[in-house]
Amino acid sequence: MVMTRGRGRGMRGGMIRPMGPGPHFGPKMKQFVPRLPFDMVLCESAFPRVKAAPDESAFTQALLKRNADLSPTPAEQAAVLNLVTKIQAVMDNLIVDPGNFDACQIEEVRQVGSYKKGTMMTGHNVADIVVILKTLPTKEAVEALGKKVCDDLRAQEPQEVLVLTMLPNDRGFEISNSEATVRVLVTTIHQNLRKLDPELHLDQKILQSHLAAIRHSRWFEENAHHSTIKVLIRLLRDLRGRFEGFEPLSPWMLDLLAHYAILNNPSRQALPINSAFRRCLQLLAAGLFLPGSAGISDPCEGGNIRVHTAMTLEQQDLVCLTAQTLLRVLSHGGYKQILGLEGNSSIASEMSVWDGVVVSALEKAYEKPPERPPQDDDTDNMDADDDPMETTDN
Amino acid sequence: MYWSGLSAAANAAAAYQTGQTGYPVGHTPTGTYTTQRAAGSTYDTGYQTAAAAAATHSTAAGTYPSAAASATYDYGYGRTTQTAAAAAAAAYDSSKTYYAQPSTATAYTGADTHYHNKTAYTNAGAYTTTSRQTTPVVTPKTSYTSTYPGAAAAAATATYNTSPYAVQTTTANKATALPVYMQQTSQPATAVAAVKTPGNTWQTFKKQGTVPNKTQKPKAPPKPQQLHYCDVCKISCAGPQTYREHLEGQKHKKKEAAAKAGPTPSRHGASLRCELCDVTCTGADAYAAHIRGAKHQKVVKLHQKLGKPIPSTDPVVVGGTTKTSTTTAGTAVGAKTTTSGTTAAPTGTLAATTTTTTSDGKKDDLKEDLLDLKEKDVEPVGQEYIEEIKNEEGKVISFNCKLCECRFNDPNAKEMHMKGRRHRLQYKKKVNPELVVEVKPSLRQRKLQEEKLRRQQLREEMWRRREEERLLEEEERWYWEERRRYEEECEYLDWCRRYPRGPPGPPPMMPPGMPRPPFMPGMPPMMPMRRPDSSDDRHVLAKHAEIYPKEEELGAIQKIVSNTEKALKMVSDYLAEVDAPKEQHIKPKAKKEKEEVPKDDDDKKDGDKKEDGPPRMLKGVMRVGILAKGLLLRGDASVQLVVLCGDKPTRTLLDRVADNLPKQLAVVAPEDKYDIQRVVEEAALVVQNIGEQRISVNVTLTSPIMREQLLHDGDSQVTAVKDPPDVLDKQKCLDALAALRHAKWFQHTFPQARANGLQSCVMVIRILRDLCQRVPTWGPLNSWAMELMCEKVIASAGQHLSPGDALRRVFEALASGLLLPGSPGLLDPCEKDPIDAASPLSAQEREDITASAQHALRLIAFRQIHKVLGMDPIPPPKFQRGGRFTRKRRRDNSTGEGNDSEGGDGKKDKKEDEDSKMDMDKDTNSSKHLMVEGH
Repeated sequence: MVMTRGRGRGMRGGMIRPMGPGPHFGPKMKQFVPRLPFDMVLCESAFPRVKAAPDESAFTQALLKRNADLSPTPAEQAAVLNLVTKIQAVMDNLIVDPGNFDACQIEEVRQVGSYKKGTMMTGHNVADIVVILKTLPTKEAVEALGKKVCDDLRAQEPQEVLVLTMLPNDRGFEISNSEATVRVLVTTIHQNLRKLDPELHLDQKILQSHLAAIRHSRWFEENAHHSTIKVLIRLLRDLRGRFEGFEPLSPWMLDLLAHYAILNNPSRQALPINSAFRRCLQLLAAGLFLPGSAGISDPCEGGNIRVHTAMTLEQQDLVCLTAQTLLRVLSHGGYKQILGLEGNSSIASEMSVWDGVVVSALEKAYEKPPERPPQDDDTDNMDADDDPMETTDN
Repeated sequence: MYWSGLSAAANAAAAYQTGQTGYPVGHTPTGTYTTQRAAGSTYDTGYQTAAAAAATHSTAAGTYPSAAASATYDYGYGRTTQTAAAAAAAAYDSSKTYYAQPSTATAYTGADTHYHNKTAYTNAGAYTTTSRQTTPVVTPKTSYTSTYPGAAAAAATATYNTSPYAVQTTTANKATALPVYMQQTSQPATAVAAVKTPGNTWQTFKKQGTVPNKTQKPKAPPKPQQLHYCDVCKISCAGPQTYREHLEGQKHKKKEAAAKAGPTPSRHGASLRCELCDVTCTGADAYAAHIRGAKHQKVVKLHQKLGKPIPSTDPVVVGGTTKTSTTTAGTAVGAKTTTSGTTAAPTGTLAATTTTTTSDGKKDDLKEDLLDLKEKDVEPVGQEYIEEIKNEEGKVISFNCKLCECRFNDPNAKEMHMKGRRHRLQYKKKVNPELVVEVKPSLRQRKLQEEKLRRQQLREEMWRRREEERLLEEEERWYWEERRRYEEECEYLDWCRRYPRGPPGPPPMMPPGMPRPPFMPGMPPMMPMRRPDSSDDRHVLAKHAEIYPKEEELGAIQKIVSNTEKALKMVSDYLAEVDAPKEQHIKPKAKKEKEEVPKDDDDKKDGDKKEDGPPRMLKGVMRVGILAKGLLLRGDASVQLVVLCGDKPTRTLLDRVADNLPKQLAVVAPEDKYDIQRVVEEAALVVQNIGEQRISVNVTLTSPIMREQLLHDGDSQVTAVKDPPDVLDKQKCLDALAALRHAKWFQHTFPQARANGLQSCVMVIRILRDLCQRVPTWGPLNSWAMELMCEKVIASAGQHLSPGDALRRVFEALASGLLLPGSPGLLDPCEKDPIDAASPLSAQEREDITASAQHALRLIAFRQIHKVLGMDPIPPPKFQRGGRFTRKRRRDNSTGEGNDSEGGDGKKDKKEDEDSKMDMDKDTNSSKHLMVEGH
């Protein structure tokens, strides 16, 4: 399928060239051809149903109800929209007419993250904006920008002076009023990235992740606007919040997973939400995000980077085993517990009994190799909308 | 020759091309004097000679004095003059010049018009120098010649001095008339100048020209005074002793040497000089500060005491001409690069006239320059990066610039710093890349920049190389992979050819004399997987070899099975004989089992009998189960045969067979002893050999009629009534029939004559069989369900899977809930009704198997497949598997977009530079080597 090009699969042929065995290709042949794990949806034809599929309308209803619970209320949406619009306006003004503000120059301002994607959750009224600076993002410049924006906002709406706060942090700054928060994530234009000085500027990785966030929201807009995907993303993020084992999954991974689960099927028609939700667990349980799997390659990065390599091996193990346990619980009818409508998250880590069937939790398989450090040196793939980040006041 | 060296450094065709586009630009003006140049050589060779190391240069040196102009002509003036100087002075070693060359070369390849202009500018500068220098040469001063020997190095230089100078003096007179020619001749002069004071720029000479009294000073012996005054250092000493010590001292010597060599050139375009203290200040502010400063005051006092003349406090502008020439060069930039050569020349003459004129001209200059300095008064930037450091009382005591990491106590200094070039550069570098900082025309800096550019280019090149190399490697990797697969399949086919077996189809019925096919279909013993790939594959193969039965085991089983088959055949014959005359009660069914057909390729006696037509009671014997499927494992001691009967098998029939079989067995294998037991409830009899290896053969009696009846159960109630009273257990008979179908399905699915990529599958099935035997959790999984599942799962991959991958995929399927409630289930292809092959499994068993498979999958993923297989880990093979390759890939991965992120700190770079240069050279060389080899 389109987005599952594993490195080097399928694009060979016509490669046979007359050449002798090169000296260095003898013994150390290829080692690693990632492969997609078993996926029932993709090979449905090999598994004709023995009996009709069980009725899942109750499960579907539960999913939809959960989604409704998770969606932000109109009031929340209005509040965040209000703040975002104001900040965006202030920033736009700064672009057009910087006036005497010379700490930095803004190249572009973009909305990203769950706000932009329409996958916000209730109770987490935070929108993300990425500001691309033309100048280099020194900490002072970022702080000055924050102050400036805050001042301008206050000037616009004097009644909000008291409630409006600005907190700089190592990603940019946050502006919040009583109802909503806007995280302003600062980055700089590509050409500047190589000029960064860790002493003086924001961390390069963070800056890159902010640029990536822009690409992500653009990709999302183009590819994943289907509302089932949004619903699924919300459900998955909720799952991630409730089950510790899913913590390592970044929002971007969840986006891609949801998109994959819903659209990557033979018919190219969106799967219904109940199948897609189950499929997500199935895919994770089958090791989609384990070493050796082709996983999902990042559509926003070159070079077929598999998104799950951003997790350490230990985390990959944890995610997989959590999904495996939940999948078994789900198949024995425990969807209410999984969705958080009943019970708690202990089902993922403790034994539970369903209809006389004992479902036991799994143990970790990953062991730290004795001498070598684990090969989890892949780059961090931080996303814009992570958990609440610590703030530094300076 | 050199070209190769250059291309190695500048390598990339792309980069090179851009460089070439650059050449013609500079080349056009040189077209005006191609005729002169023609005497020397063509452009290319000229370029080479000029650019080559000292060794090469020496060959050109023969023609040098005479054809000096033509040797140094063309575009690379800046460069060539340098080389000329280097070669003549023999100060550089050859390697150094080599490095120097690419640096300029890359500067060109940069294809930046900016750089062209720069070279043009250099030219202008050089030109100015020399033309100005003509004055002292024409009217030589003693002072001038006296400074000369100090720096003049080789004898060769001396000869150079004379001849070009001669040329120059003459041309200088006609300078305005023939600017182009003039420029050319000026080239060697520059070379000489450079020789004279290696590493110095032309500003030196200008200095000497404009301030001759300064350079004279060191010549004059210090007059003994009451005050022991050192003229060079402008200090007074307390007594003769200290004075002598001072003269001996390092500080003094340094100063003296510096004075001899002429004042060090300021790096700035224009600077202010305090004549009295011999101090150069970079700006008006700095100069003012100096004048106000204690040191200056002290010197003034001293000089007053000595009664020496005190020059006015008006600053002497240094490098004023530099400025003008810069600006003109700047306009030249604006104008056009193509004309830069020609424009530069007149500029030079102009500048020369300015400086050679009298002092009022100089004053004009000065004024201009002061004006310039004022104009330079720029907006201070980066106020927010200057920290105020306060003392306890909150008073600001000093400032700290975080950009430049420097401190000042004085607010004035802070202001100046913020306007300063260094700070602005830092600001540009660290805050706003778009800040305009005036270009600094220092040679050193340009060199640095060129060096930097070159380095960057080299680096880029290296990356490109790496990438290419990687792609190449990857391609080859695929090629070999492909080829390995091909070979594997060939080998497999070969093997099949060696052990031919009839076309897949219904297995023949009981052919006693016929050579049996190899016992284990599907997989030759130790199927040659010659180049097992991954660690998983190696483990699976090793495990497979471990569980695969030994030859002698296979032999023993083969023997007892074939003996039993032969004996059963004879029993069949016997029963047919006995029954035939008496009764014809068994009607030959219209629907004979297909198995009967192959019978005719039995011996003739059998065929004759068949022609006679008496229906047999025992129609045939078939191998089923692991025996038929070739799934025997080491230690398996029980195999199954199925005897198809013409009618429903009864207990009577079982007894008759059991009675007769020992006799027939004795006939078939007189030397072996067999023990035969009836297991009526299983509808079977068990043949066991008596020996060290107890192998039992279960022979089950069944008949297709049992199933036909079942299938038509609804409408043919009547037939059921006809059943003989002692008919054998119906379910067992049906199971035997199912086993027969399964064997057929298996043989059909995994035919041996066709390498359909499912070899791995049979291997995996064997390994799972072992797992089911070993691990209690897996025990309930019946073998038919397991086989079916493996086949479906592995075949649905849609690609060839290595054994390790195939095993992993099976675990993936189980882990994703293939057996869990809600899954589609395993539709049994051998049953008419949709039946789940795994239906015997209880919900708890399914759950447990799934959980176990889930854990196993993660074990496999985390390189612990040996735990799943119940074996010891196999250490990786000796060769370092793709160490280089994987490392490289990882690096690629991790660098996403910021490949060039390094190169930040110039200081650090510089240190690494030499090393990395070497590395890169090696790298490019080796990769080149590799590519050559690769093709």
